[in-house]
Amino acid sequence: MIKRIPALLAAIAALVSFGGAAQAQSFFEGKTVRIVVGLGAGGGFDTYARVIGRHLGKHIPGNPTVIVDNMPGAGSILMTNHLFKVAKPDGLTVGHFNGAIILGQVLGQKGIEFDARKFEYLGAAVKENVVCGLTKASGAGSIESWRAAKAPVKLGGVAPGATPDNSGRILNAALGLPVQVVSGYKGTSAIRLAAESGELAGGCWSWESMRATWRKGLDSGEVIPVVQIVAKPMADIPNVPLAISLAKTDDARKLILVGVQNSSAFARPFALPPGTPRDRVDMLHKAFHATLQDPAFLAEAQKAKLSIDPVTGAEMNKLVADVFTLDAGLLAKLKDALYQK
Amino acid sequence: MLAEMAGAFASGLYQVFTPGTLGLMLVGIALGFAVGILPGLGGPTTLALMLPFIFTMQPAEAFAFLLGMAAVTATTGDITSILFGVPGEPTTASTIMDGHPMAKKGEAGRALGAALMSSLVGAIFGALALALAIPVVRPLVLAFGSPEYFMLAVLGLTFVAALAGDNLLKGLVAAGIGLMFATVGLDPISGAQRYTFGQLFLWDGIGLVPITIGFFAIPEIIDLAVQRTAIARANLGRLGGVMEGVKDTFRHRWLVLRCSAIGAYVGIIPGMGGSVTQWLAYAHAVQSSPGRERFGKGAVEGVLGPGAANNSTLGGHLIPTIAFGVPSGVTMAILLGAFIIQGLVPGPSMLTPESRGGHLGLTFSFVWTIVIANIVTVAICFLFLNQLAKVTQVRGSLLIPPVLLLIYLGAFAEKNAFEDLYLVLFFGVLGWVMEKLHWPRPPLILGLVLGPLAENRLFLSTDNYGMEWLMRPWVLVMIALTLAGAFYPLLKAWMRSREAPSAPRKSAAPRANPNTLFTLILVLALAAALWQSRDFGPRAGLFPWVIGFPVLALAALQLVLELAGKEQRAAMFVPEPGPGIPAPELRRRTAAILGWIVGYPAVIWLLGFTLGGTLCTLLLLKLGSRERWPVSLAMTAGVAAFIYGVFGQALHVPFPPGQAFAWFAG
Repeated sequence: MIKRIPALLAAIAALVSFGGAAQAQSFFEGKTVRIVVGLGAGGGFDTYARVIGRHLGKHIPGNPTVIVDNMPGAGSILMTNHLFKVAKPDGLTVGHFNGAIILGQVLGQKGIEFDARKFEYLGAAVKENVVCGLTKASGAGSIESWRAAKAPVKLGGVAPGATPDNSGRILNAALGLPVQVVSGYKGTSAIRLAAESGELAGGCWSWESMRATWRKGLDSGEVIPVVQIVAKPMADIPNVPLAISLAKTDDARKLILVGVQNSSAFARPFALPPGTPRDRVDMLHKAFHATLQDPAFLAEAQKAKLSIDPVTGAEMNKLVADVFTLDAGLLAKLKDALYQK
Repeated sequence: MLAEMAGAFASGLYQVFTPGTLGLMLVGIALGFAVGILPGLGGPTTLALMLPFIFTMQPAEAFAFLLGMAAVTATTGDITSILFGVPGEPTTASTIMDGHPMAKKGEAGRALGAALMSSLVGAIFGALALALAIPVVRPLVLAFGSPEYFMLAVLGLTFVAALAGDNLLKGLVAAGIGLMFATVGLDPISGAQRYTFGQLFLWDGIGLVPITIGFFAIPEIIDLAVQRTAIARANLGRLGGVMEGVKDTFRHRWLVLRCSAIGAYVGIIPGMGGSVTQWLAYAHAVQSSPGRERFGKGAVEGVLGPGAANNSTLGGHLIPTIAFGVPSGVTMAILLGAFIIQGLVPGPSMLTPESRGGHLGLTFSFVWTIVIANIVTVAICFLFLNQLAKVTQVRGSLLIPPVLLLIYLGAFAEKNAFEDLYLVLFFGVLGWVMEKLHWPRPPLILGLVLGPLAENRLFLSTDNYGMEWLMRPWVLVMIALTLAGAFYPLLKAWMRSREAPSAPRKSAAPRANPNTLFTLILVLALAAALWQSRDFGPRAGLFPWVIGFPVLALAALQLVLELAGKEQRAAMFVPEPGPGIPAPELRRRTAAILGWIVGYPAVIWLLGFTLGGTLCTLLLLKLGSRERWPVSLAMTAGVAAFIYGVFGQALHVPFPPGQAFAWFAG
C-alpha cells in the first residue's frame, strides 16, 4: 500500500518524458489515444470510459497511452459536434457520448451539427435496458393497478429526449397508461430520492443502474419493477411484463421499438471521427472488444458493478442507419409522443 | 445499536490510521494545500484530475486521499483570498471582503489566524454534523420535497439585503442581474435557448468558476498593476497578530458556531455548496454584528463567518451523497464517481455497520479524514504563516504573471473549454467597473447561484402539486421567515434614515459621469434582455419576466436618482489616486494592464497554452515591468515547466493547439 505513494508522487510530479522511438513499428506506438467523454467527471459515462481506458492500451498494437478527458456541455452535443467537425480523424481521438442525441438528430433537435451516420462506431460496452420502477406507496405497483389509476401516475424525467422522459411518454402513447412525466430532475438519483419522499411514483431507466442504486428498496418490496421496455426479459426479473407484449396495435409496437427499445443498443456509443483510416478503425475496434473480454477489465468492471453487454460497431452502424429510414408517418407520431405536452 | 455505532466510529479512526491510508491522506492534503492556495485551480477540477489515480487504491485509501484534498482547499483558499484579494477557491471569495482590507491595513496575521482557526472549527463542526446526522439523515432529507427546496432558495435570496452594503437599491439591482445571468442557457424542458447567442458553451449556463475568478481576481490584478506596489500597502510590520486572530475566533465563538451550522445544514441541500454558504455566512455576520458600517473595511467577523462556513459545508455536502447517492454539488458528483469505481453503492448500506454487511466504519473514516486533514493543515499553516505572509511583500510585477496564468489555466481546466476564458474577461471587466463605481458584487453572485435552483424547483413544485404546494407546513414556515427576512432590514434602514436625516446629501450638479453611464448601460441591457425574452414562451420566459421587469424598474429608479444628483458618492472611474501618481499616469497604467489581461488569452488562442503562457510571462516581465533578465528568464522557465510538465504531461489536460499552427498546417 505504502509503496504506491512514491509512484503516485512520481506520476503527479512527472515531468517531460521525451519518448517516442524514431521508427514506430505501429502507428500507435508512442502515441496517446484520448477518450473524450461528453459528460462530466464522476458520472456513469465517465466511469465506463475510465475503466475501459485503463485496459484499452494493451490491446492496441504498439500499446499507446490511453487517457480519458471530459468535455461536458449541452448533454454531450458539444463534444459530439467537436468529434464530427474539429477532432482529427487519425485514430487518436475516441468520443463517448449520450446516444439519445442520435434520435435527437432524426427528430430535429437544435444545436446538433453532426451526422450520426458518418461516425466510425467502435460499439458499446453495455446496452440500456429500461425498466420502470414504481414505489409500493404510489399504488401503481402492477400494470393492472397502474392502468386503473384515477390520476396520472407521476414519473420522474430529466429533460425531453432523455431516457426516463422518452420511456414514460412512450408508455403513455403506446399503451395508454396514465402517465405524467415531471421533467427537470437532475438525474436518476434525484428521481429516486423524489420517489422515496413520495413526490413521484417512480421512473424508468436502465435496470443495471436501478438494480445497483435502489437495491434496498427493491429487496424490501418498497420499489417494484412494473414493466420492462426490452426485447426479452432481464434474467433476474423474468415475470415482469414486457411493454412490447402489452401493446395492442402495430403502431404501438413500432413506437416502443423506435422510441426506446432499439435505441438501447446505441445509448452509450464509443465512436471515431468520420474519415478515420480504415485500418486504424479496425485495430481500435478489435482492441475495444478484446478489452471488453479481458479478465482484468472484467474484474474491475465487476468491482464497480458495471454490467457488460457489448454491442459491435457493425450492429451499431445498422441500428443507427435504421433510425434514419423511418417513414414520415411514424416519425411524426414519435415526435408527437416524445415532445408534445 | 449504540455499541455498533461506537464500534464503527472507532473502526473508522483505525482505518484512517493505517500507514498506507495516512500516507495517501498526507499526499492528498499536500495537493489540496497547493490547489487551495493557487488561485484559478479549484478543488473540483483537481479532484477530477486525480480520479485516474484511485483505481489501484483500497476504499479507505481512496477516500482519505480525495477527501483529504477536498477538506483543506477551503482552508488554504482563505489564505490567498486574504493575502492577495484573489480568491484561492471559488468558495473563499467572501473571505476577501474583510480579510483583504485587514491585510492592507497590516493586520494580515490577525486575519489569517482568524480564518484558519474558524476554518478548523467549521470543519470539525461539519464532520460532527455528518457523524450525528448518520442515524437520522434519511427521514430528515425525505421530509423535504421540491417546494421546500424552492423556498430555501428564496429564503437564501433575502440575504441580499445584508450583502448590499450601504446601498440597498444597488444591491437589489445587482442580485437581479445575477438572477438574469442565471437564466442564460438552454431551458432543458422547453428547449428554448435563453441568451446563448447560438453558442453551445452557454447551453449549460455560466459556470461559477470563470465568474468568480474574473469577478474578484481581475479587479485586484488591475489594482496591483496600477499601484505598482506589493500587496501590503502598509508595511506588514509584525505578523504577531496571528494569536489575536485565534483569540477572535473564541471571542466570537457563537458567531463561528452559527456560521458553521449554516455551512453544514445549507450544504445538505443539493445545489447549494460552499459558493452559497460562504455568502450566507458573511451576510449573517454582517447582520448579527454591531456596527455594520465596519464591514468591507476589515471587520474580523467578516473573516470568521465565511471561514467557518466554507469548511463546514463539506460535512453537510457529504450527507446526501453518502445516504442517497444524490450529489449536492460538483465535488460530490466526482466523489460519487469514486464510490462507483471503488464498487461502493451509496445509500443505506453506507450507514449499516460492517458486521451486517455495510460500510459504516468507512463512512466514519470520512469524518475522521475531514477532522485530521484540517488539524494537520492548520498546524502546518501556523508553522509557515510568516513565510506565507511575506509573499505579500513581493512586488506586484512578479506576482501578476503567475497569477494571470493560473487564472486562465484554472478557467480552462474546469471544463476543458477555451470559451470560459472569454467569460473570465467579461466578468473581470464587469467586476472591475462595479468595484470602482461602488456597486456591491456579492449579491450578483448569490443571485447567480440561487437562480437555477429556484427556477428548477419552482417548476417541479407546480408540476407535481399544482398550487397546493404553497400550503405545505414547512413551506408556510419558510414563507413567514422569508417575509421577515425581507422586511426587517428594510424597516431597519428606514428607522436609521429617520434617526439621522441630517446626512447632508451632496447634491452634485446633475450631470452624466461614468456612474450614470454604467447605470444607463445596465438599464439598456436589462431592457434588451427582456425584449429578447419575448419569444421564450411561457415556461422558459416566466423567470426572466418575473425577475426582469422589477429589476429593470429598480435600475431605472437608480438612474433617475443619479441623474437627479441624489447619489452621494461621486465615484470616479479612475482608481483612487495613490500617493504621488498623477492622473494621466494612472490612466496609462490602467490601459496597459487591461491590454495585458485581454492580450494574454489572445496569445494563448494563437499559440496554445504552453507556448503562449510562456511567451506572455516573459513579455509581461520584460516589457510590462522591465524586470532584469535573470529574474525574467528564471520565472519564465519555471512557468514553462509548470504548464508543460504538470498540466500537459503529468495530468494530460487537453490543451487546444494554437490557432497559428493550424493556419501553418494549412
